[in-house]
Amino acid sequence: MYDDIRSLNHSDEPDSAHAPIWRPIVFQAAGLAGFTLLLVLAGASISAVAPREFQGETAWALVALPLALWLFLSLRPEFRVARPRRPLLGVAVASALLASAIGLPLLEDFFRVDQWLPLESVVQRLIGYSLTAGMIDACLKFLALRYIVYPQSFRQRGDAVVYAFAGALGYSLVMSLMSIARIQPTWDTAAITLLTHFTAQVASSLFIALGLAESCFGDAYPLTLPLHVVAAALFTGLALTLAGGLQSGTLTTAGAFDRPLFALGALVAVLFLCLSLTYFLYNNSERREREAYPGGGRDGI
Amino acid sequence: MAFETGASPSVQFTPRQRWSVAMTYIVIAVGLALGLNQRDRALNRASVYSNSEAGVTARYPARWLLEESPDFIFRARDMAHRGYHTSIEVSALAAGPDTSERNVLDRLNLRRAQSLVDYAVLGYETYQLPDAAEALAMAYSFVSRESSPFLEGASSVVRGLDILTISRGQALIISFRADAGVYDRELETLRWFIQGLEI
Repeated sequence: MYDDIRSLNHSDEPDSAHAPIWRPIVFQAAGLAGFTLLLVLAGASISAVAPREFQGETAWALVALPLALWLFLSLRPEFRVARPRRPLLGVAVASALLASAIGLPLLEDFFRVDQWLPLESVVQRLIGYSLTAGMIDACLKFLALRYIVYPQSFRQRGDAVVYAFAGALGYSLVMSLMSIARIQPTWDTAAITLLTHFTAQVASSLFIALGLAESCFGDAYPLTLPLHVVAAALFTGLALTLAGGLQSGTLTTAGAFDRPLFALGALVAVLFLCLSLTYFLYNNSERREREAYPGGGRDGI
Repeated sequence: MAFETGASPSVQFTPRQRWSVAMTYIVIAVGLALGLNQRDRALNRASVYSNSEAGVTARYPARWLLEESPDFIFRARDMAHRGYHTSIEVSALAAGPDTSERNVLDRLNLRRAQSLVDYAVLGYETYQLPDAAEALAMAYSFVSRESSPFLEGASSVVRGLDILTISRGQALIISFRADAGVYDRELETLRWFIQGLEI
């Protein structure tokens, strides 16, 4: 019976009916990483032009960059296609609100990660960030997707990726704003902070998206989605551990100096790894489905 | 080409989807419980301080910085805390047979009023120690600034609690200080500290 439904639901619309899926994500990640590299390399020169106090007071404005990139590369194309993903903005806003109302208070006031996690060993930090920040972030972004778009707005596998990316952007926006407002960093440190939150949230969201897509379109085993959520939490933990640990320089007799290039390298590596892995798994699922049902896709029930 | 449905898929879940969502919630709950457990283990990890000369043995949070000085027996400070570092200080003063707890606290008040900005006593009350002995507690507040004039930053209001008991000819003072914003939360650490204090 499912096979009949599949063939009935096969869409003859060309791909141009939808906005692209992976290209905007890759462009945004590359754009943000490139911008961060620029600020890190120009750190000393910038300090000569803009005083540190001025940088601290205006660093929050850098948060507008990922938002602008997303509006331009992801949201704008949705208005130009036959079948736009309408709840995209809603997912981003809901994720941002959940981060602000629940995620941050839980992390800072209940789990108090700043008080104990930075002092732990690398392995403990990785586990700790995965079980606290990773789980909270994954849970809230999953809730936003579950109650806004899943499964009623999923028409193709890529929808899960696009909605999850919107959720990641909204969530990381709030986390970045709060971090920058609290520590008032210089522009290069602010850029690293932005990239850290962007990487942690995007990596996490892409795995949640894969889990939701598998569950929706592949009717996967019940453990598939939870395992993807665990992977999401682990990637958040990995990004936060690497960025924090590598950015802090070792203490010497001359003092301690930040190593933003180390942190940037680690974040780019995590971003590349997660994008490659999720893209590979996504394509693999698409190919398997195409081979299994040559007449068309399945209906997502 | 991406596979797609012609219409929005049904909002009806299959049994597998229903199970996968339920199991996701369970996995998240278990993960957060493990995170909570790790947090508690890290925050409650203790080190032991012992000073046979002063006759004091105490346990303090392992991640806090321990200091000794001629001005006090020892002090433990939470250096990971932003702003004012929460601290617990144990000090001893000589006390004669006629010295009352209130005398000692008044002397402290006079000294602090000259060295702390906007120092104010908030009140006195009795405090029950673990061995059922009664001590006198004094709550106070002051304004703290960064110790270095080259560091910028707004001043913060600090709340403190002195617990004083006189025994064997000395007044033992346990001073707890924390930023006013986190004072109530951090009081739990003081209670835990006093539970493990042997004098």
